[in-house]
Amino acid sequence: MTKGKISGIQKKYLSYTLALLILALFLSSIGVWFYMRSSMISVIVDKYEFMNEKMGISMDILYDKSDEVTAECIIDDNVQKSLRARGLDGVEKNVLRKYFAYIDLSNISQYCYVDNKENVYTKSYSQVSYEDFTKSGFADLLSGEYSKTEWIWTKDTLFGTGKEALFVGRYVRSMDYAHKPGMIFLKMDEGFLGSLVKEAGDQSGEVAVGIVDENGEFCMEEYPQGFYMTKAARERITELAKSSRSGVILNRERVPGGILQVYRQKESGMLIFTLVPNTVLYNGLDQILLVLAGIYLLVIILAVGVSLYISRIFTKPIQKISSAMESFDGKDFSHKIELHTNTELDKIGHSYNEMLGNIEQLLVEIKNQERELRTSELNMLISQINPHFLYNTLDTIYMLARFNGEETTMKMIQALSRYLRLSLSKGRDIVTVGDELENVKSYMQIQQIRNEDLFRYEIHCEVKAGERQILKLILQPLVENAIKYGFCDILEGGFIRIEVKEISDRLTVSVFNNGTPMSRKVADKLNALGGIPVPEMKQYFPDKQHGYGVVNIITRLRLKYGEDVRFEYETGEEGTRCVIQLPKNGEEKNE
Amino acid sequence: MNDKKTAAVILTVSLFLCLAGCAAGENKKSTDAREEVAVPMILTVDPSAGTKNEEEVVKAFNQAYEGAYHIDVEWIMETEEEYRKNLKRMNVTGGLPAVITDLRMLPSYYQMMVQEKRIEDLSPYIYEDREWLESIEPAVLEACSESDGSIYLAPLSTAAFSCSGVFWNEELFRQAGIQEFPKTWEDFWNCCEKLKAHGIAPLALHTKGTAWAPMLFATAELSAFPEGAEFMKQLFPESYDNFCGLQLAATLKLLFTYTTEDAMHVDFDVAFDNFVSGRAAMISNGYWMIDQIPDELEGNVRFSVFPGNRLISSPETFGWAVVSDYEEEVKKGAIKFLKFRTLFNQKEKAAFWAEEAVGKNQMMKDYIEAYDGKPQIVPNYQVKWNSVLQEETLGECLPRLVNGEMSVEEFIRMLDESIRQYEDEL
Repeated sequence: MTKGKISGIQKKYLSYTLALLILALFLSSIGVWFYMRSSMISVIVDKYEFMNEKMGISMDILYDKSDEVTAECIIDDNVQKSLRARGLDGVEKNVLRKYFAYIDLSNISQYCYVDNKENVYTKSYSQVSYEDFTKSGFADLLSGEYSKTEWIWTKDTLFGTGKEALFVGRYVRSMDYAHKPGMIFLKMDEGFLGSLVKEAGDQSGEVAVGIVDENGEFCMEEYPQGFYMTKAARERITELAKSSRSGVILNRERVPGGILQVYRQKESGMLIFTLVPNTVLYNGLDQILLVLAGIYLLVIILAVGVSLYISRIFTKPIQKISSAMESFDGKDFSHKIELHTNTELDKIGHSYNEMLGNIEQLLVEIKNQERELRTSELNMLISQINPHFLYNTLDTIYMLARFNGEETTMKMIQALSRYLRLSLSKGRDIVTVGDELENVKSYMQIQQIRNEDLFRYEIHCEVKAGERQILKLILQPLVENAIKYGFCDILEGGFIRIEVKEISDRLTVSVFNNGTPMSRKVADKLNALGGIPVPEMKQYFPDKQHGYGVVNIITRLRLKYGEDVRFEYETGEEGTRCVIQLPKNGEEKNE
Repeated sequence: MNDKKTAAVILTVSLFLCLAGCAAGENKKSTDAREEVAVPMILTVDPSAGTKNEEEVVKAFNQAYEGAYHIDVEWIMETEEEYRKNLKRMNVTGGLPAVITDLRMLPSYYQMMVQEKRIEDLSPYIYEDREWLESIEPAVLEACSESDGSIYLAPLSTAAFSCSGVFWNEELFRQAGIQEFPKTWEDFWNCCEKLKAHGIAPLALHTKGTAWAPMLFATAELSAFPEGAEFMKQLFPESYDNFCGLQLAATLKLLFTYTTEDAMHVDFDVAFDNFVSGRAAMISNGYWMIDQIPDELEGNVRFSVFPGNRLISSPETFGWAVVSDYEEEVKKGAIKFLKFRTLFNQKEKAAFWAEEAVGKNQMMKDYIEAYDGKPQIVPNYQVKWNSVLQEETLGECLPRLVNGEMSVEEFIRMLDESIRQYEDEL
């Protein structure tokens, strides 16, 4: 791995982290986008909603003002007198005509009062006659409500301009008598309704503001530059003109092009609306998104940096382990790993070091075993160089002893010759029970010649000795131990009994001696050999002075038959018995 | 199985919440449906006594109809004259309350309100409501009914509570050596002389409005004559240029010789003030003034019939009506209030006539004695004579007559002129 280049676990870790982070940021950006969008719109619409309501309330006030001034006109003495049967004289008429010029209401461009005697009172230059008034159709404009002030958006046929304008109209009724009522119309200039928008201040410049009469006619429209009122929005406003509710009758309704608020003035039935264009709604969002994107980018960079740093804390020791493993050539065990991460990785490093130690130890053992094997093979080869020479020599010695009449020598040579033949067994490990018994018998005969009267022996075989097989040279070391340790304290009277039986389908061989009993401690130690791994058995008796023969037997038995071998010393007052149980019939295990 | 149970629980809870929501909506609707209906009304606070007129009946109604109807009173501190003018203004400029009063005291205004269908015809409601009908005194029902049988003015009062006589200050009378209220007009003028001789203004009078206080004396005096009694029964007399007119003018002129110095160009409230403050010994007014007499004066004030055992009364003068402008529910509440007022008045009368209820109030004892003394009832000029005379001519001409700026003949000519003006306006 090249230093500095991101790969392996770190690469994957970074890839997944980055993917997860991008996913999280993407999802959060969607959430933030929707939240910000709704919040921003809410804040903006709140502002214009308030503005629209404020304009609506101003319209209420304006209506009340128009109602108040027309009421003052109605109860004026001269106006009332004009309705009485006798009416006004010329001077009074002039006074009344001028009286209307001083009505306390701004933005009156023209006025017209018609009494119930066909007298028309207007500005002096207006020159409107009763005939003009009749022809204008204004006599039929008022709805018929007894004393209500009405706002009427209509074409100005009264003063002859022909342009549409707002008129404040009202019946003028007698306070005392049931006379025909007069009518008063005040023509308002554009500033009258325009004052409502002006009161809203600068805010109104950003949004579409308009006034619609109860018939759905647009009386005033003030739109920001570039704004186009969609047909659907227009139709919706027109539809609302039919509403009988008053006050804020529509709030935050999304229409094509923006969000609509509508206030209905109760008495006049006029609507004042505010449409907040989409451009205003989303104006601030772009900047917020830009800031958001910047923040996200910074978060990604920081996250990558932190991820790199953190991932290195873990990947560095892993790389160290990986590098150590890759560089291990099977010879050099000195490359230990030193990790101090306070994580599980430390245990992995420690385990790796332990593994190296075990492998090293195993290799040493294998080498030792190989060495021993080679020595053994060499010895075997040496011993097989000329067995016939050895036999011929022994035969020659036997003949010489016979010539000389030395019976004991002859027996000894015969026994030795049988013993050697069976020991060699032409290099085979497995022999028949009969051969094994013959071998140990030869050994015991030699020992009897050597130690006269020391012991006697019995061999009791309950199996077919010629058919049943057994690992060779098992019994001889046991007998040797019996003579060597069991009879070490006596000079005569020793007894050795060898039994071969079939117990529970297992070939059972036992060697009993009546000599000094083996100590319990030694017996237990020897009996424990069955539970010790084969490689460690040699270390069990490190002095190689004691137990070597037994270790040899058990090692060979376990190597030959596996773990299903029982080897046990039983010790008591009458003597020591060694019992060996082999699987099945003592045949070699082919594993 | 568990999933099914969970789903069932969620569905049940959702259903419950939905139903609860619906139920909440229903409750809201039903609550809205039961919302108390406000019936607007304007009533006056007496400028002198500071008492709220008709407060008791309003409270009783609001208590009885709590949750259904509520008489929403705007209490205003103004004279009856100002109140009546306001009624006219409000009619032509909007804003009349649902229940209006004093309508019959403005004859032309009342006629206009009827002609222009500004007030409700109560006859269907009254004749369909046995309880209401039976609670109305026949004389009151007749007085309130129009010739075509329609009823615009609620016959809510009892004749017993609509009589006007003379309130007099017993202490001032005693100071002048007068022991009792005069029983004849001759004695009345003598009484005035004695009071005047003792430096006490005998009469509390005024000239503005419909000159109510002097006109009560003058019309009561007029009815002492057989021609006068007949004249007072006429609706919209065709002329005052007769004995009755002359007698009326002469009496008015004479009355003002026994009044206070500030009686010219002022309204009834000034006259009332003069009486309750002890500056004048007598004032003519109706039963309703008993409640307005200050407590400290109660022991000194007595009530008597006009000389010749006469009381002036027109039960319809109260003139309570329901304005047509309002929604049906409001009008329904207003009509219920008029019925309640009728029954309330009957109970009031029964309690009033019970001696124990009267207690030690001398004025009430006097009133009962006067009403039970079989007096001659003289119709109220306010319901019989034209509006121009009452509202314009009297106010303009009476001070001039009294001051000698206008002769009796000229005064009578002006009265007749008012008739022509009124006819012109019809």
